[in-house]
Amino acid sequence: MSLALTLSVSFWSDQFVNGLTTGSLYALIALGYTMVYGVLKMINFAHGEVFMLGSFAGYGALVAMGGNDLSGPVIALAILGAIIVAMAASVSASVVIERLAYRPLRNAPRLAPLISAIGVSIFLQYLVLEQTSARAKFYPDIFPRGSVAAGPFEITYIQLFLIASSVAMMAVLYAIIQRTRLGRAIRAVAENPTNASLMGVDVNRTIVFVFILGAAMAGVAGVLYGLFFQTIRGSMGFIPGIKAFTAAVLGGIGSIPGAMAGGYALGLAETVGRELLNELPGINLGNQWRDVIAFTLLVAILIFRPTGIFAQRSTTRA
Amino acid sequence: MSERKGRSRFAWLLLLAAFAMVLAVACGGDDDDDTGGGGSVTYGKAGFKTVEIASGQPIKIGYSGPLSGDLKGIGEPIQKAVELAAKGKTIKGHNIQVVSKDDLCSADGGASAATQLLQEGVVAVVGPVCSGAVVAAQPQYEAAGVTHVSPSSTAHKPTYPDRGQVFQTFLRTTYSDDIQGPAQAKFAYKTLGAKTAYIVYDTDAYGSGLRDAFKAAYEKEGGKILGSEGYEKKQTDFKAVVTNIKNAKPDLVYFAGFYSEATPFIKQLRAEMKDVKFLAGDGVKNDEFIKGAGADAEGAYLSLPSPVYTGEAYKTFGDLFEKETGIKRDASPFVAEAYDAASIIIRALEKVAEEKDGKLLIDLKKLNEEIRKTEFDGASGKIKFDARGENVGGATPVSLFQVKNGAFEEIKQ
Repeated sequence: MSLALTLSVSFWSDQFVNGLTTGSLYALIALGYTMVYGVLKMINFAHGEVFMLGSFAGYGALVAMGGNDLSGPVIALAILGAIIVAMAASVSASVVIERLAYRPLRNAPRLAPLISAIGVSIFLQYLVLEQTSARAKFYPDIFPRGSVAAGPFEITYIQLFLIASSVAMMAVLYAIIQRTRLGRAIRAVAENPTNASLMGVDVNRTIVFVFILGAAMAGVAGVLYGLFFQTIRGSMGFIPGIKAFTAAVLGGIGSIPGAMAGGYALGLAETVGRELLNELPGINLGNQWRDVIAFTLLVAILIFRPTGIFAQRSTTRA
Repeated sequence: MSERKGRSRFAWLLLLAAFAMVLAVACGGDDDDDTGGGGSVTYGKAGFKTVEIASGQPIKIGYSGPLSGDLKGIGEPIQKAVELAAKGKTIKGHNIQVVSKDDLCSADGGASAATQLLQEGVVAVVGPVCSGAVVAAQPQYEAAGVTHVSPSSTAHKPTYPDRGQVFQTFLRTTYSDDIQGPAQAKFAYKTLGAKTAYIVYDTDAYGSGLRDAFKAAYEKEGGKILGSEGYEKKQTDFKAVVTNIKNAKPDLVYFAGFYSEATPFIKQLRAEMKDVKFLAGDGVKNDEFIKGAGADAEGAYLSLPSPVYTGEAYKTFGDLFEKETGIKRDASPFVAEAYDAASIIIRALEKVAEEKDGKLLIDLKKLNEEIRKTEFDGASGKIKFDARGENVGGATPVSLFQVKNGAFEEIKQ
């Protein structure tokens, strides 16, 4: 098998940047899955909808601030405002969901909260579809177009912004988990809730904080997604949600660095990975194969390394 | 230990099987073009019955198309046109009632709308609007012997079904992509001078059918297809596709799908490639496309498998439609075709409905024959059906447009 790549360097660097961009979004959303799994051993399937709500809230904020008429430096402020509104919306939704749909089932069999999460997911999705009469909304086209070149890489401003802000958010999150009292409480609850509560940790409060942190990440991801792809709809949370879940499993569910690595790995597999496969003779996988590749990866990971790339160690999980 | 070994061998087998499947599907994807001639046609067995309508009860005509969701902009005006055609009409003292079902333009939606409409006891149906839904619903309508006339399904498959036997109960008042595809190809190659093209298509019956028709005709013209990539409805991330297009440097990007995906696609395309020509079909020629894509829609070329209507009948219909519904007559395509489809059904009903013992009897076989015999000067032009249910009445059934200053401007040829 010869791996003489037939395509140009700029093609591969473009696909690499595309992969990183999508991967950043997956990683941001995956954090919410992995943290909740870490403390509750439960998969919060409504997380994709928390992301969707954030995106819609950010859209509302941007439109209220002037939408397409924004120009100049105000745009930066407007985007910051939209991100804050989106985080607030995602966080409040998540706290309410936790209180109403999950906490009453805390001591129920493990299947019960999972089913409850799927219920919440469907409810929120159809609520928004109903409210928007299932039509797409278009984010204001305000982000400056243009790109910077770095070696073979040509990165558009929006991609740069997306990658940089997601990395920054993840760094902040990692610092919170590793360096603060709250982070220590989260790690303690993750390790053993009973022991943690004996040590004076308020378990319920800590769990709420886990939901808040995950939802804040999802809210940011929602606005970034809207600014980048410009099209949002009520059903938009489903596929990124499933992909982020795949990313979390890929990295080792429960592990924070794992979720980040898994997100990037999945984003790159869908773009660069697919094109690499296309280099093999007789294979021509069009864009429609990307989901096949993502989920084949999920199946393969579950078969060969169910604990993920970053096998869970108790000190790093949260 | 041995058990573990066994399990891992099993896992390898699974993976091998998965790869084999992937390869099989990948290789088998492209060989479904059957361009059999329109000559002899064998029909399947349609389950025609006679429907009894008690006195005082309405005669029900069905409508199947998207009434919510992203493609509401296509389905709703069509539904309004159907209702307009039935409004105030009575046959031997029975009102005509339009029963509408939302099929979301999807295959499963089309099948379930068919089930619901048949349960309601409709005698004929206008629709489904989308080809994906048509293909999924055809067997049910055929089994029930209920004739359905689509005003807008343009794909190749409905009139050339996979299993050979042509559906007796399907007809359309629009024109097949076997006409639209070559017309687009000729326009792209000759008029626009595009020697190379890149195709992006919806993987449903409409998108893949249009892709096949365009591809074959474009290559025959002498053009070269540099690449072809599919997508599923609701996809918004086209970045990787755009990178591939950028790399291939085609003269033209050909889009076979609907405006709901064309909108995010063209926004992402224009962010990277300002000048490449963009050509799409009837699924994109909709005011919603211009509304969503804004400045990025400028310069886009679109085609419609219907003539630019000039007849007096179209003017009369258009005025009435705008007055009754408040929707512009050319905001969305196929409204005139829908009005005609409903009118054809009602005309045929008038001929075949018989009164007996205070009941109205409608022989679905006779109704089907009457509809097939139609020769009609409608709002959308002349309508006449061939044995496959194809409309062969019109003379110049493809028109072309370009987006200029936020509106579709006709390109005179």
